[in-house]
Amino acid sequence: MNGNRKKSLTSEGRDAWILILPLLVLMIVFILIPVMSNFYYSMTKWKGIGTPEFIGLRNYSKLLTDERFFSALKTMGTLILYIPLGVLLPLIIAAILRDGLKGWKFFRSILFLPNILGAVILGTLFSVLFSQVGPLIQFLSSIGVEDAVRINLLGKSRTAIQILSLLFVVWLRLGFGCIYFLAAMGGIDNSYYDAAKIDGAGWWQTFFRVTVPSVSFAIQFFTVLAFIEVFARMYSMIFSLTGGGPGYATYTLEFGVYRIGFIGFQRGYASAWAVVLFLFCAIIALVQIRLIRKSEAA
Amino acid sequence: MTTSYRRLSTRLLIYIILVVFALLSLYPIFFALNSSLKNDYEYTNDKLALPSSPTLDQYESVLINYRMLRYMGNTILSVSIGTLLYMLICSFAGFAFGQLRFRGRLLVFTLVLFLQIFPQMVIASQVYQIASKLGLLNTRTGIILVWCAYFAPFGTYIMTTYFVGIPRELLEAARIDGAGLFRQLFSVMLPVAKPMLGTIGIIGALGMWNELPFALLFLQKQELRTLIQGIALMQGEYGLTVPTMSAAVLVSAFIPLSLFVVFQNHVTMGATAGSVKG
Repeated sequence: MNGNRKKSLTSEGRDAWILILPLLVLMIVFILIPVMSNFYYSMTKWKGIGTPEFIGLRNYSKLLTDERFFSALKTMGTLILYIPLGVLLPLIIAAILRDGLKGWKFFRSILFLPNILGAVILGTLFSVLFSQVGPLIQFLSSIGVEDAVRINLLGKSRTAIQILSLLFVVWLRLGFGCIYFLAAMGGIDNSYYDAAKIDGAGWWQTFFRVTVPSVSFAIQFFTVLAFIEVFARMYSMIFSLTGGGPGYATYTLEFGVYRIGFIGFQRGYASAWAVVLFLFCAIIALVQIRLIRKSEAA
Repeated sequence: MTTSYRRLSTRLLIYIILVVFALLSLYPIFFALNSSLKNDYEYTNDKLALPSSPTLDQYESVLINYRMLRYMGNTILSVSIGTLLYMLICSFAGFAFGQLRFRGRLLVFTLVLFLQIFPQMVIASQVYQIASKLGLLNTRTGIILVWCAYFAPFGTYIMTTYFVGIPRELLEAARIDGAGLFRQLFSVMLPVAKPMLGTIGIIGALGMWNELPFALLFLQKQELRTLIQGIALMQGEYGLTVPTMSAAVLVSAFIPLSLFVVFQNHVTMGATAGSVKG
């Protein structure tokens, strides 16, 4: 009996490994090995061809004197400052839609639409919409704004970062956030709302005392996802919206790796950027894994 | 009287706010559609007005002269094969993690969760080296494999959370009937998981359709380009006018948008899959 059970367990183990083998091979070859080898290449001088020359930690000390590196950190800091707004806004809209407004499914779909278009198309379209010779400037001039051309939203460092943040962290995530929070709110027991009503709580009170605590896991998870987007999913949007400019104003670590490694052919130095990016991402990944474990245990 | 008036005005305010957000979501795509039907001269004259005599010339020039028809064929081919392979990989692994007990399960699954976060740019340089050693550069096989490697960890995570929720009795009953591993999978488990399979299929297909960094890296020959890659590169190469670029954008977005309209529920399910609990 016991032996039989053991046998079925070992055959189950063999089956399991057969099934995860394709995933495992692809992951090891195309993600794990590349991620790890960054650590080696970050200590070399290497153009992408030929033999890498070992130079110790020189790439890292170069980082500390590189204007682009600090510009990237600054951009990412600004983006992170927008995350609270990017979380709160869809949360409020979802709470409104949850009240059973007519046509809420339609709104939900419309708000999600930009996600279907993807970052490259959105970046390209917005670079036109905000350009010096674009429709926004024409509109502003037509309603009598003087010198509208001098506004130049994407051409000035300060406004370019703000536009990028608003688009990527707030606007683009709105549709996803609404769907996500609506699904989480679907699980709230209606009796909480009834109780709040009996207590005479207003809409905002109900929102902060009932809705927010009930979906606190979803809020935490959505916030982690926002960090992932900022650190690890921004390349395409920057490529097509600002190209990292003006100057280095909208560089992120991700975009820096691309410019330095693939346009500047300093692959060794770019690997040092990638290692820094790796560390940030690893921290976020660990937070996410802990959150998932916590939800499984609950 | 006053309370009902107040309620009505808050309602109205809410609708106005929602309509503003809806317009903000819709305007970019409307702008592209509107501009794509104008000729260059008309666009330069007035960027906001509707086209006075709509023309499809931009589409013709984009599809033929700028080779978008070719890029579309490339994209459809790579994305559909890639998505199928991705669905197989994710459902295999998701089934193993979600239903089977084996040594090292937790460790490998944690690795999957850990690796799904890294951006393309952390791995790009070395992926390029590996792919060139394996002879995968400038091949469809190469881009398909690297897309699968990059997107499968997340899909696997979603499939796993789904399979965890399926009672194990189903599997045990199939075993008692003498079903081997692949019969358990294809005739018992996958039919049960069909809705979620559709959902990850959409997530994967959209991800691949709109993917840029790996496409730029792998597909350097012009005849292999994807649509998104075409859009990203065309502006620099030809200095496209806005109407032409708009037509290119719509050509590229046409299939994803149609899929969205048809499979809305799968898409909305996909947005929440694997991450909403409690």
